[in-house]
Amino acid sequence: MKLLSQRRHREALEAYAYLAPATLVLLVFWFAPVIVALLVSFFDATALAPPGELNFVGIAQYKRALLNDTEFVRSIWNTINYSIYSVPITLALSLLAAMLLNTQIRGRAFFRTVFFLPYVTTWVAIAIVWNYVYHREFGIANWLLTVIQQAMPWHTGDVVTYAWLAEPRGVWEMMIFDPLRITLPQLPGDADQIVRGPSLALFSIVITSIWRDIGYFMIIFLAGLQNIDKSNYEAADIDGASPWQKFWGITFPLLSPVTFFLLIISCINAFKEFTPMFIMTPDGGPDYGTAPMVFHMYNAGFTGQWELSYASALAYILTFMILTLTVLQNKLIGRKVEYGT
Amino acid sequence: MSGIQIVGLLFLLINGGLFFGWLVQRMSGDRGGASLRMTRLLGMALVYEALLIGAVFMFLPFYWMIVTSFKDSETALTFPPVWTPSRNQYLYEDSEAGRDISVRLLGIQRSEGELVTAVPESAMDFRRVDTGEFSVTRETPDENAPRYQVDPTQLSQDIVMRIDGRNFMKAWYAPEAATRGSVNFGRYFWVSFFTGILSTAGTLLTSALAAFAFAKMSFPGKGLFFYIVLLTMMVPGQVLLIPNFLTLGTLGWLDTYLALIVPFLASVFTIFLMRQFFMTIPDDLWDAAQIDGTGRFRFLWQIVAPLSKPVFITAGIFLFLGNWNALLWPLIVTSSPEMRTLMVGLQTFNEEAGSEFELLMAASTMAVLPVVILFFLLQRFFIQGIARTGLK
Repeated sequence: MKLLSQRRHREALEAYAYLAPATLVLLVFWFAPVIVALLVSFFDATALAPPGELNFVGIAQYKRALLNDTEFVRSIWNTINYSIYSVPITLALSLLAAMLLNTQIRGRAFFRTVFFLPYVTTWVAIAIVWNYVYHREFGIANWLLTVIQQAMPWHTGDVVTYAWLAEPRGVWEMMIFDPLRITLPQLPGDADQIVRGPSLALFSIVITSIWRDIGYFMIIFLAGLQNIDKSNYEAADIDGASPWQKFWGITFPLLSPVTFFLLIISCINAFKEFTPMFIMTPDGGPDYGTAPMVFHMYNAGFTGQWELSYASALAYILTFMILTLTVLQNKLIGRKVEYGT
Repeated sequence: MSGIQIVGLLFLLINGGLFFGWLVQRMSGDRGGASLRMTRLLGMALVYEALLIGAVFMFLPFYWMIVTSFKDSETALTFPPVWTPSRNQYLYEDSEAGRDISVRLLGIQRSEGELVTAVPESAMDFRRVDTGEFSVTRETPDENAPRYQVDPTQLSQDIVMRIDGRNFMKAWYAPEAATRGSVNFGRYFWVSFFTGILSTAGTLLTSALAAFAFAKMSFPGKGLFFYIVLLTMMVPGQVLLIPNFLTLGTLGWLDTYLALIVPFLASVFTIFLMRQFFMTIPDDLWDAAQIDGTGRFRFLWQIVAPLSKPVFITAGIFLFLGNWNALLWPLIVTSSPEMRTLMVGLQTFNEEAGSEFELLMAASTMAVLPVVILFFLLQRFFIQGIARTGLK
């Protein structure tokens, strides 16, 4: 008995030795920083000020962010808008692509590779290329728009082109209200934003991020689709179910764990997005209409006054929003997800 | 009706026909063999078309990037766009002294260097006198005619298709101008490769050790693992930026290789991935190894690790890619041009190059190439690795 416990003891010691390297790195660069960042956010530290003049300011940084910094509030809206449009469209399109590829067609490997290619290339290069794609005069986005308009049988003469990344107007304003010749009055506060929709500049970045992520989601959806037992469909065929019924009755519910996982992951990632906006609109876009929260945090903490405390507070606001969102999604949608077959 | 409108009309008609035919076949209620085959055929046609349009949409930006990287600056800024790798054919490139040439003149400069006239796109006959000097032959044929100093790059003929890799060389060495010759893209590639490989190898090492402990050993505190995974997944990495920046500043590691390697030497996700794999390795192997007198450490590296090659490769790919693609962190912790990773270098070049799109596209192509090659070599592991993450 004593021998056994001694062996246990030695095993535990050995296990700790194996864990030590990873734990050390995680402690120094993960767990301690999470706490340090929270502490720093209650002070007024900047990288430029001498460390002796550090003052405790309580929640002043948080107050300043949410009440006084209109650009930050704008960046919250940008982040939400970016997520609201990019996440569902990407999920829907990648599910569609996965379902089309899950049929018996030729060239599956080819299509899979082509759809997946954007995901393996790098965000910085992608953003630079799309910057050119959206070029006001020479970009292929406007070329495509021109060709499509000219190809319409009812086309007469004028073609509409857009400024894309330099366009501050909202997409609803441009796509719905302008063609109907409705001039929107200046609405109070955030209502204006909501009615006019996100700026075309932001929406252009949404399109780029959809283009990039479709392949990644598609691969995961494909794996999920291939996991569904074929006998379900055979039974439905015997009952004479339509493709529509089969999708909502079998595919969608059985795929819901995968969809839910992707929803959580992609929402978190969308809230943390930085690179495409930083490259494509380095000044934060027209009317600061594309800058996400991380962009604003970077600007506050690592440029200009190097306000480290303020940036920490912004990072914690972001964390709080992501946590809330994830918990909400778990509570509201998580229980509807059907696990097991 | 223009040609393109006819194409558009045909497109609409064919699709409408396909869809209508498919609908009629479905609605007809006729479940005979021929009818079913017809429905399937029409449906398939629509599926292929959707996939093809999708594939074009996905591939077009890449095609555009590659094609543009072979163009010159004039061809890159042309609308409607030129879809082939083309350049302006400059006449100075193949004209000899004493030969008459006919050129599209974009501007004339007198030998004093002051611009006299700019006659866009008017054809004139010139005689090349010697390098850079041309005399007008048609309009003033006498010997005493004034000679013009013509900027040879302004003497362009037409846009012709031509594969010419000089943009890649130009882009490669372009950062030297802004950094007084100290760095070029070779340096950026080196920093990214070096830090990426070291931190990937290091992370695989620490993760394998930790994952082995969690999968195959028992110790107090083992149950905490699940909560650690959850916590690290929920807290965005952005929170860590400032404290880690301060830590590195205190250690004096800012703007060194260490700043790009050490903070990433542990990854909870990799530990999780490896633990899942190690758990599927039967305990019998460990029992057999014990009889042979093998210790745990040797067991891990000589038996478990070779069996787990797929998970090592998959995790390695994602760690390396994560490093290769990182922008925010290297942007913050590096300041000298020598320590820029490829992504920071590319971003800096993007700021400097402005609208020299042919160079930007060449640089982007070069930056994308290594990961695309990696992808094609290890495609199986990529796809499996991603597919597995969704099904855990």
